[in-house]
Amino acid sequence: MGKDNGDNKNSGMTRRDFVKMSTTVAAALGGAAALTLPSRADAADAKAQTASPSKMFLVVDQKKCAGCMSCMLACSMVHEGSSNLSTARIQIIDDAFAEFPNDIEIAVCRQCADPACYYACPLKDKALCIDPKTGVRYINKKECIGCRKCIEACHFTPSRISFNLKYKVALKCDMCLDTPFWKQTGKQACVEVCPQNAIKFTSEQPSGHKEYNVNLRGEGWAKLGLPTD
Amino acid sequence: MYLCTGKILRVNLTTKKVSTLNTSDYKEWLGGHGLAVALFFDLVKDKSVGAFDPGNTLVIAPSYFSGSLIPAACRTEMVGIQAQSYPYEWFSRTNVGGRFANMCKYAGFDAIVLEGAAEKPTWINIVDGDVELIDATNLWGLDTVDTQKVIFKNVIGSAGYGKWRATKKGETIQRPSVLTIGPAGENRSRLGAVITDAGNAFGQGGFGGVWGSKNLKAISVLGTGSVEVADPNELMQVRVWAEKNYGANVDNPKINAWQEFITSHFGGHPNRGWAPFDNQRRASGCTGCHLNCKPRTSSGYGNESICVDALYYQNWDLAKHGKITEITGYAADLAQRMGINSFELHTELAYLKTLYDKGVLGRGKKIDTDIPFDKMGEVEFIQQFLTQVAFRKGIGDDITEGIPRAAERWGRYKEDTESGIMAAMFWGYPVHYDTRAEVYWGYASIVGGRDINCHDFNVPAYWMPSLDIPAKKTPIVTAEQVAKWVGEMPPYYDPEMMNFATSNIYSVHMARTTAWLLHYSTFWKQTCGLCDNAFADFVNPYGPDNRGITPEGELKFFKAVTGRKISFEESLEMGRKMHNLNKAIWTLQGRHRDMETFPDYVFSVDTEGTSYVPGEPPSYYMPTKENGKWDYRNVVPRHLDKNKFEEWKTRYYELEGWDPKTGWQKAKALKELGLDKAASELKAKGKLK
Repeated sequence: MGKDNGDNKNSGMTRRDFVKMSTTVAAALGGAAALTLPSRADAADAKAQTASPSKMFLVVDQKKCAGCMSCMLACSMVHEGSSNLSTARIQIIDDAFAEFPNDIEIAVCRQCADPACYYACPLKDKALCIDPKTGVRYINKKECIGCRKCIEACHFTPSRISFNLKYKVALKCDMCLDTPFWKQTGKQACVEVCPQNAIKFTSEQPSGHKEYNVNLRGEGWAKLGLPTD
Repeated sequence: MYLCTGKILRVNLTTKKVSTLNTSDYKEWLGGHGLAVALFFDLVKDKSVGAFDPGNTLVIAPSYFSGSLIPAACRTEMVGIQAQSYPYEWFSRTNVGGRFANMCKYAGFDAIVLEGAAEKPTWINIVDGDVELIDATNLWGLDTVDTQKVIFKNVIGSAGYGKWRATKKGETIQRPSVLTIGPAGENRSRLGAVITDAGNAFGQGGFGGVWGSKNLKAISVLGTGSVEVADPNELMQVRVWAEKNYGANVDNPKINAWQEFITSHFGGHPNRGWAPFDNQRRASGCTGCHLNCKPRTSSGYGNESICVDALYYQNWDLAKHGKITEITGYAADLAQRMGINSFELHTELAYLKTLYDKGVLGRGKKIDTDIPFDKMGEVEFIQQFLTQVAFRKGIGDDITEGIPRAAERWGRYKEDTESGIMAAMFWGYPVHYDTRAEVYWGYASIVGGRDINCHDFNVPAYWMPSLDIPAKKTPIVTAEQVAKWVGEMPPYYDPEMMNFATSNIYSVHMARTTAWLLHYSTFWKQTCGLCDNAFADFVNPYGPDNRGITPEGELKFFKAVTGRKISFEESLEMGRKMHNLNKAIWTLQGRHRDMETFPDYVFSVDTEGTSYVPGEPPSYYMPTKENGKWDYRNVVPRHLDKNKFEEWKTRYYELEGWDPKTGWQKAKALKELGLDKAASELKAKGKLK
């Protein structure tokens, strides 16, 4: 029996990320480069010198995620004071009709080594900033003029930067450095509330797609009858 | 108002008039069931209308807690005159998870009132407060999955799913959440369900058939709005506290057999018990949930289908093939694509197979059918069976009326309810937990309007002892301890509520068990929206001393989101008030004490229980106190005594403050509850004591 999953959702984060990233790189390096695509890390190296590296990252297990969107509800609440799927800096794309593993994708900011959003910002270091202590790329909402250039520049689809239409400002993961509605130090709301432990903090820079998308399923997961491969 | 958008949508399908009411006018009813029943009471002048009458009004209300970070609270309640119950179409409620509750609030509405009936097939598109009634002729006849896919494309447009799109108020990458009926509902099936996503259903109540009678195919909601809470910091702290102290640790789970059945325990975890598919690969959850009890599979078949969604065909598949094959998932999907209530199918197939084996039903038999019952367990059988039910073909035209009405058409109702081969137990609903053993389940159902489906006591009262003891395991909490914890609960403070010895099952203690269940569930689960799969939580292997989060968790959640500190007793009193408004509607429909009883077999045929361990006899272990000593004991074989049940009813009515002779409410009690409007309407109909 074959399953009809014919809707308009793209086939998966991995492929989508790859396609957009490839296009970006190809455009930057010329048509010939499309035949020998450089790795994500290689592309990053070209500009890394202009942005100090981040020391804070989120890695995710796309196969462990339950699609419950608790991370989104928490993210928007701790940053904006109310739960809202549109102002969440992390996004879950869920297709209940699709077969595993193409049913769920976690779209999370990678705190890129070559932060295209940062380079694109016309008010760089005022609106889109890099925290001198942690290297986290974040948006200073007070300075953001809502030009959307950071959103358009993001390497990924969907853009990891969302837009608050009401206040005309861009919103981006800041690793919970500034959570005006949550009193805490050094924690990330999405990591704290994820019931599947499918989001993990790391201080080590992941070097490519595989290192951002990790396997967090161990023996305990297997005891639940769920796959660890 | 925290947790509310401030607006209630009112749609008259007959006139196509769209208007709004202010939620603040219904502030005391909070949301979910409380809000829905209050709206129904005020807006439906003739409460004696039939299910398929255009005068039947449906109210869909996201739970009070939905939209926030409270775990396991993305539930949506729907009330109205149901089509399923037999022999009377009682006012009833039904409930669904998924994404709808949150998305409805984000789209701007605390409830949706549906009045009248559309002239032609219609779907309602709601995007950020904008409401459009759209011709659904192109959707009529489509199954629930295809309907959703067409609506997704219509709403999302060319941007495609997973990309940022603007509405008039915000930007989103999310899909709308769509409630829809399938062919069964279109054909006014009393088994008709309303489905959302792959495996979430307003299953019980036959409300899919009611939608069909209104020519309502679907409701789609998409929103970019927010849900405000009183104290975001406190809510974040409480959520983390609850998960870390009472939630399952999926990386180091505590495995008990009874946890394979996620019924009312906050520490439930993803498991294979409720989702038996060999190719299960992921656990998925409703919005904001911490349990994540729904499966996703490598084939996509059976996605989000748990419990009877899969179980209804699983054993036939197993019997035919010696193992559970992909057919179980296929059958689960097909029932939901057709929009058929899987719970009724579960018992129905066993009954029909019995008739087939007796030579009463089959090709050329008295009940003549070409459905290939010799191929039960195969795809061919379930395709033909569900198609006939959904499209009213052959004996499907009888079965789609629900088994009691079908049996009546076949002239078998009396015989088969006396013998018990037709296991309808409460108002024509199939047996769920057997009232001959787990008495409160049936009691609450029969003084209500449907299979009560509230598992609050179900872990300590059944699953834990009934799975552990035959397997030679010692339950992690003793019967005496369970009774002590329940005995700490207001307003009754009565450990005997957990004594299921035959000597106690007709007592005032069991009246308290029943009332507590109804009041707790009405407030905390059906109004605030805490999922029945997680609450009430009495026994929890992750909690301190294996104790669950109830009532501390519920009260902490309420305080964080509303800023109001209420006592547990106050919450149960609110539940009592809401339950009394339900009761007033039933009385206005014609309910009388004499109607509230079980089919004959409940009073004459023993239940034997179930054997879960090969080689062990069937049993039903429950907490009992005998000779002053608490223990888990086997309470079956057992049937109810009709006279003693009538005595129990008197005790229950008196506990609720109702007239024991008629079962009707009293003016003084309603006034004390602040239900003056209900008292007036009952008095005008001569039904108030």
